Amino acid sequence: MITIENLTKYYGNNRAVNNISFTINDNEILGFLGPNGAGKSTTMNMIAGFLPMTAGKVTICGSDISKDPVKAKKNLGYLPEIPPVYPDMRVREYLSFCAGLKRIPATKKSKEISRVMELLKITDVKDKLIKNLSKGYKQRVGFAQALLGNPKFLILDEPTVGLDPKQVTEVRNIIKDLKKDHSVIFSSHILSEVSAVCDRVVIINKGDIKAIDTIENLEKQTGGSLILHIRTKGSRATASEIIQNTQGVKEITKVNVEGDEAYEFIAQLEGDGDAIKNSIMKDLLNNNVQITEIFTEKPDLEAAFVKLINSKTSGGMKELFEEYKSDILESQTENAEKEGNE
Amino acid sequence: MFSIYKKDLQSFFFTPFAYIVTALFLFMFTFMFNSSLGDLNQPTHYFSFANIFYNVIIMFIFLIPILTMRTFADERKFGTEVLLMTSPINVVQIILGKYLANITVFLFMLVCSLFFPIYASIKGEVVMSQLICAYLGFFLWGSMYIAIGQLVSSFTENSIIAAILGEIVMFVFLFIDDFSMTKFIAQYPGLQSAIYAFAAQPRFAYFSQGFIRLSDIVFFLSAIIVCLVWNYISIEKRRWNRG
Repeated sequence: MITIENLTKYYGNNRAVNNISFTINDNEILGFLGPNGAGKSTTMNMIAGFLPMTAGKVTICGSDISKDPVKAKKNLGYLPEIPPVYPDMRVREYLSFCAGLKRIPATKKSKEISRVMELLKITDVKDKLIKNLSKGYKQRVGFAQALLGNPKFLILDEPTVGLDPKQVTEVRNIIKDLKKDHSVIFSSHILSEVSAVCDRVVIINKGDIKAIDTIENLEKQTGGSLILHIRTKGSRATASEIIQNTQGVKEITKVNVEGDEAYEFIAQLEGDGDAIKNSIMKDLLNNNVQITEIFTEKPDLEAAFVKLINSKTSGGMKELFEEYKSDILESQTENAEKEGNE
Repeated sequence: MFSIYKKDLQSFFFTPFAYIVTALFLFMFTFMFNSSLGDLNQPTHYFSFANIFYNVIIMFIFLIPILTMRTFADERKFGTEVLLMTSPINVVQIILGKYLANITVFLFMLVCSLFFPIYASIKGEVVMSQLICAYLGFFLWGSMYIAIGQLVSSFTENSIIAAILGEIVMFVFLFIDDFSMTKFIAQYPGLQSAIYAFAAQPRFAYFSQGFIRLSDIVFFLSAIIVCLVWNYISIEKRRWNRG
């Protein structure tokens, strides 16, 4: 387990990381999410023992990184933002050097190197000079280095940056597989990536933790209510009444006038989206209202994160989402009113 | 420590680097050897290897910085410093591993230069005691310069700047005794002896005459230790001041 307590970092008078605390449990993938310059790399550098902290404490498997660095670093594999590779070395040679640094016994060395090369699919470039490799391969060589010696904890700083979509998927799958016997902290500024891979997320901005929660909870809070879009042709009053009175519809949040007797209704739903949709369609058609389009969508998780990151309070996730939702509703009703007046 | 030593040696010997530096060193050595042979028409020639070494050292202030300039500057440039710092080894081991690798290249150069004394002893006679002392003095002097070069390399991430800075520092150290002898400095005997205490050249002179004095060995060793400790401080300091 890695425990991070009240970690703070100042660069001169600039505060990069402000009093953050969290823990990383065994066999867990922890996402570290935040925009560029949020303090992600600084925090990771501090956890890995490269940067000294201004205040606070990082404990890795019971050993303090600043008091007993050698012991603490034995349990760590670190892939920094820029892969730390020597351009003039061959891939195998480089990994062999890293294995030496990590004090892997000579008898196990070549087996271990083959294992990580196999895992990251770099066996076919093992005799190439690193400077001749593409960015994606360099990244994978750096990743292989972090995996050497099977450390309990892996810290990966934006491991998928600069990779092509196929490689990104591959790397994500590798990270998922690592969960079996490693704990992974991995940073990203891409939400979909974090939600695809991580068990828990730490959201950080300007050095402050904005939220720590599981992906499921995040999705529950934002995805619990679906949003229904219907385009109809026919009487507005009838349509509106039917939609409003269908069970499962919370409220109509917006009505767009799209032409003569053509409207778009946007409503918030609760419960099974398909059932509600079917019932609305049936009722509308029975009452001579034509439907030109109907679909449901999840609220935009991405937008919620942006909102979260920009929020000033660092309270719980739930409050923030409530705040976000009510804001959206407010703006939508305002728009609807405006249009109604017109 | 051993893995860093090995990696640095590989970066010297698996590339043309070590061979080019050695070739340059031998070229200078040959040049000095030839010029000290003097007039070839005379039946016998007297020359001293210590003198050759002394002349070579002047060239050395250009050669050693080339050897040491990449030591830490390149690690910073490529971002591999992070790798070393986050591995389960401490900074002292990093510094010693790199220092020993540089010393090994220097020893390789010295071993290559043995060709001349061996050749001379086949064709004539060599005063062995003097030769051994000269080699020992030369080795200590070179080791000190390597420590200085390595220290300077940890100041910057540009290896060219590291080389030029190193040359300047070594130049000052080479001529500091001449400087202390100037009339201006001689006005202040205290200052003069203080500056003179830093001079390596008179200490080498003792070695070249066949004296092994403890004080001289202590001088070189302490200079090496000071540079390496400073090297440690400079690396740690940068970690703390980053950003």
